[in-house]
Amino acid sequence: MAVRTAEPPAAVVSEAAPRASVLTELARFSRRNTLAALGGAVGLFTIFVALAAPLLAPYDPLKADFRAMNKPPNAQHVLGTDQVGRDTLSRVIYGARTSLFVAFSAVILGTTVGSLWGVACGYLRGRFDLVSQRVMEIMQSFPDLILAMAISMAIGTGLSAVIFAIAITRIPFGGRVIRSVALSVREMPYVEAGRASGASALRVMTFHVLPQCVAPYLVLATTHLGVAIVIEAALGFLGVGVPPPTPTWGNMLADSITALVPPWWLAFYPGLAITVTVLAFNLLGDGIRDTLDPRLSPAFLRMMTGGRRT
Amino acid sequence: MRKYLARRAVFALVTLLGVSLTVFVILRILPGDPLVAILGVEGHARMTPADRVRIMADLGFSDPLPVQYARWLVDIGAGRLGRSFFRGDTVADLIARRGPITAEIAFLALFVSWLVGLPVGILSAFKPNSLPDGAARAISVLFIAIPGFWLGMLIVLALLFWFGYKAPIIIVQVWENPWQNLQIVLGPAVVLGLAQGAYIARMSRSCLLEVISEDFVRTARAKGLKEWLVVMRHALPNALLPVITISGVLLGFVLGGSVAVEQAFGVPGLGRAMVTAVIERDIIVVQNLVLLYAVIFVGVNVLVDLSYAWLDPRIRYS
Repeated sequence: MAVRTAEPPAAVVSEAAPRASVLTELARFSRRNTLAALGGAVGLFTIFVALAAPLLAPYDPLKADFRAMNKPPNAQHVLGTDQVGRDTLSRVIYGARTSLFVAFSAVILGTTVGSLWGVACGYLRGRFDLVSQRVMEIMQSFPDLILAMAISMAIGTGLSAVIFAIAITRIPFGGRVIRSVALSVREMPYVEAGRASGASALRVMTFHVLPQCVAPYLVLATTHLGVAIVIEAALGFLGVGVPPPTPTWGNMLADSITALVPPWWLAFYPGLAITVTVLAFNLLGDGIRDTLDPRLSPAFLRMMTGGRRT
Repeated sequence: MRKYLARRAVFALVTLLGVSLTVFVILRILPGDPLVAILGVEGHARMTPADRVRIMADLGFSDPLPVQYARWLVDIGAGRLGRSFFRGDTVADLIARRGPITAEIAFLALFVSWLVGLPVGILSAFKPNSLPDGAARAISVLFIAIPGFWLGMLIVLALLFWFGYKAPIIIVQVWENPWQNLQIVLGPAVVLGLAQGAYIARMSRSCLLEVISEDFVRTARAKGLKEWLVVMRHALPNALLPVITISGVLLGFVLGGSVAVEQAFGVPGLGRAMVTAVIERDIIVVQNLVLLYAVIFVGVNVLVDLSYAWLDPRIRYS
């Protein structure tokens, strides 16, 4: 049943237009937002690379080859090798796996928790909302990276610790934006009708308020993917992220500067991968925001600027 | 104004109390046994029970948690920030020695971001959707996506390869040797400033465009003012408020980002100290540094709010 209720918002967004097939919808989207479509394509490509890593990588990313250490890019190793002869291209490809897995899990976890919390705040209001607002404010009082570092130190550096640490930093963003959506949705007549017909608060929230939050949720999740990728890379770079030998873009960069004279290809390609991926997801996020929910843009702006006062 | 000030101060105090409680929960309660957090599981297992008890008592970790928390707050109030578990220097010394470097980086970055971002934003808004506007927006999108620490690494490498130049990696305060000090802080400040400048350019462009469509701007145009005067004197002051606020939000990026960027440049600032402490699992140092970062962040946001209220009477009286 919950699956079926997830449908309406798409219809709400494109109310005026007749129901078009997904493909024509996509075509229209990419004609209007060429950059966003490009970002989406690159993003999909990165996801594909991550999923198909074992098929695409020319070498084993963990296998040291002492006959080919510190080789600059050449015919056998297109992007060169590192200090112990591991193939950089293979490591970048496998790095996509870790980076995207961490970023996607953290963003989905953090934004979902934040959004549910936000719906509850916006719908229930009162003391619960007041206290929640203070708590979110406290969570936003830490610079993202600092908070993530402290949490991952406390619960141990591993894949799940890093995901958890990044997810926590995403919660208040979801909470604030979705709260403002829920605040306006709760005043709508059909929600009142639901209330009047005796539905419990939980029921109204799940079936009437929540579906309206799907569009902003998608926007939020996409825009935060880029941030999550950068935080993950930064944690890896600082040596407190997913520990080696698992290749991540961040810890590859960290490896590269341990050398006295860092080989440029080790410093360049993982960072390029981060930049291209983040750029792609950011462009996609901007495009989705403009299409799916133009109202969210000023709301988001307000949250960034004056929202602290409400 | 005074009432607004008082209310804002009380809010900030409540937030800070919550912040300190959060730090305490994350670093003292989440890991379970603090000794495990400091020494790791293996290190902990190697110690004799008597040693464990002695060290726990030494660090004050054997008291009940509320007592520990209260004592921490009292200590902070008295300026006693404890000392590093591994290095023997006090946290207060650490902050006094490294804090100024990071503060310099943050202020310079702020300066760079306004210096670059504001003119670009104004130029963009002058002729929206023109070629220069497109270029400016493309570049700002790019700079938002590039991780600062990677850009920093590339700059360090390029300087090293092409000019054989390496910035000093020792602590040199600005009052000791301004020239050497500038070489240390300039790189991180520029990298962080450019990323922030991109946000400032974006924000000032969209705010200016919003203001330009308002009635009083049309009036200014209608009375025959030159376009640049209309923008500079009438539109800009009204568009600047959100830009000031976003600078406060961006400071969080700078404080967090400087941790990684300092590492990339090898700058011995507070961020490096934080990284070292986290890697060494030096709980007391991490605890106080995280709190310091949060206090600065909250403090700056209070200042931003106050400046906002000062510049915009509507907020003061609402």
